Amino acid sequence: MMRKTDTRLQKRETGIAGLDQVTRGGLPSGQATLVLGQAATGKTVLGLQVLARAIERGDGGVFVTFEESPAQVKRDAASFRWGAGLLQSDRWQLIDARPRLGAEVAGEFDIEGLLSIIAAAIEQTGAAWVVLDGIDQLLQYQPEPQIAIDQIRRINEHCEDRGWTLLLTGKAAGDSMAPIRFEGIEFLLSATIVLSTLMVNQQLNRSLRIAKFRGSGHVADEVPMFLDDDGIQLPYHEVPPTGGMAASIERVSTGIERLDKLLGGGIYRGSGLLISGRPGTAKSTLAGSFAQAAARRGERTLYVSFDELESAYVRNLASVGIDLRGPIETGFVRFQSLSAYASGVTAHFLALRRMLDTFDPRCLVIDPVSALFKASGIEGAAMATEYLIDLVRRRGITTVLTSLSGVLDPEGEATLGHVSTLADSWIVLDYNVRGGERNRSLSIVKSRGSAHSNQQPELVLSDKGIDLADVYEYGSEVLMGTARATKEREEIETERRRQREREHRRMELERRIEQTKRELDRLSVELELEESQSSETDRLERLHREHIKYRRDPGGESLAMHAVNDEEKHP
Amino acid sequence: MSVDQDPAPSPVPRLTLFVTGTAPRSQRARGNLARMLARIGRSDLRPQEIDLLEQPREGILNSVFATPSLLKTSSTGEVSVLYGDLSDEGRLHYFLADLENGW
Repeated sequence: MMRKTDTRLQKRETGIAGLDQVTRGGLPSGQATLVLGQAATGKTVLGLQVLARAIERGDGGVFVTFEESPAQVKRDAASFRWGAGLLQSDRWQLIDARPRLGAEVAGEFDIEGLLSIIAAAIEQTGAAWVVLDGIDQLLQYQPEPQIAIDQIRRINEHCEDRGWTLLLTGKAAGDSMAPIRFEGIEFLLSATIVLSTLMVNQQLNRSLRIAKFRGSGHVADEVPMFLDDDGIQLPYHEVPPTGGMAASIERVSTGIERLDKLLGGGIYRGSGLLISGRPGTAKSTLAGSFAQAAARRGERTLYVSFDELESAYVRNLASVGIDLRGPIETGFVRFQSLSAYASGVTAHFLALRRMLDTFDPRCLVIDPVSALFKASGIEGAAMATEYLIDLVRRRGITTVLTSLSGVLDPEGEATLGHVSTLADSWIVLDYNVRGGERNRSLSIVKSRGSAHSNQQPELVLSDKGIDLADVYEYGSEVLMGTARATKEREEIETERRRQREREHRRMELERRIEQTKRELDRLSVELELEESQSSETDRLERLHREHIKYRRDPGGESLAMHAVNDEEKHP
Repeated sequence: MSVDQDPAPSPVPRLTLFVTGTAPRSQRARGNLARMLARIGRSDLRPQEIDLLEQPREGILNSVFATPSLLKTSSTGEVSVLYGDLSDEGRLHYFLADLENGW
């Protein structure tokens, strides 16, 4: 036997982006891969799609059908976008290997004839891929299952010897992965893919699992698969392997100057902003403001509204001074209204991705992303949202997602915990009820990479647009609306009164200082007067005394002392 | 089918044995078919043999992908197929019943 000397696993791309992603580069080249699944799980489509992609790349292919008629196979192919290219190409051969009706069995048989036929077809087409679709339809004629199993192994050896890359599809039976009577073949080949379907809430959920891939890393989980006009897709696994955009330091306006200020200049270009809140907290208004601002910068925004029609949505925004009509008409905003219930989460995700591909926007709004949680799907809205955020981030698209939260859970933690974790910024809108009023409030719960305000300003809507009002902190309370206005007026009044009082007091003091000054002058004068009067009195007194002294003793000085004593003796 | 009705030789179904070279099952089929033809008194019939290793195109044209396979083509063009190495005598006998002499 001519074994290849290079034993390292070589892979061949299938051309199905998601499949090449989960297999880390394709299926084993020069070997057979088993594709198992129940009826209508997409086995035939997978084979056809692999061939179509190979032919697009200039390779050839051979498709051997054991179950469907060639006409049916062609109809299958024609129902997909890539089908026409396949059907027009002469680089592939479609071989009808359906067992003849009424065929009977009288002993064991070989498949060497089949392999010989395939070899001839490969030679003619230069086939890179060979698909044996529904080989169990032939092998079921084998009287002993073990012989059939050996022949699967034989096919694989043949592939290895000849360097054929082959897909072998087989119908799984019941809960078993393997075709009826062929239990164990799912582990026979080095690679096995299992396709399955599951009905959830009346919706078909498809999935693909790599049950085995010897010698290669791969995604081992059951991954959601989607089948539409583009054929088989693994929507969540088509992310290009590149790491995405470098983190931007550019700030993008939310369209509300004061909110930008609170966010440290806006949200980062390419980041995700989650706006959550109860119904009527102006989430859409905020989202609309963001889109309007983007249009004014000349940037395209894909605007996805779940469950609300464009006309109503645009009208409602117009009532608060936000114009989406203009940007829609000039092409800066593409408004897309989707019905959450209409399809599964995977379908929604895929639709969004396609819109992103075709419109190539710089900004994205999904209002509300929580609607995805209404759509059914085993994969879960959480995963879809997660992949979506990852996808737009890699593409550098600045995104605003709104989320409806419950009355008891205004922040929506319970349902959107994971989204809020992924979003770079998170704004929670809420009501404050006080004094018979509902007033909207806004708080920035999170803003990655930004110094942001911890305040909870009031969101004020008017026909001129949206604005934030400063909060009025009153003790431990934050006041809004009329309460805020009243309190503000009171505050101004109080201040005025205080000013007046202070002025009065100043004037009073000045008056008193003046008064005191005058008193000082008066007293000074009085003092002077008094002093001058006193000295005159003193003089007169002295004169008087001298006069008396003289009278008593006109001759000598000593008499004076005597006289005093005399006076005391004789009062 | 009756021998005393039509003087012209009744059209005999054509037998074709598809084989792959000298593979053991193909060899067995040759032997088993020859033995059964002898048993039913039709050693005169020489089944056509097609080797798919040499003529793969014939496999596609005749929709034969398993070897050995015995094809019986009636005069009207109706084709019956018996898969396998023909080791199941009962089935082989039944398949060739309309060729048997002595009816």
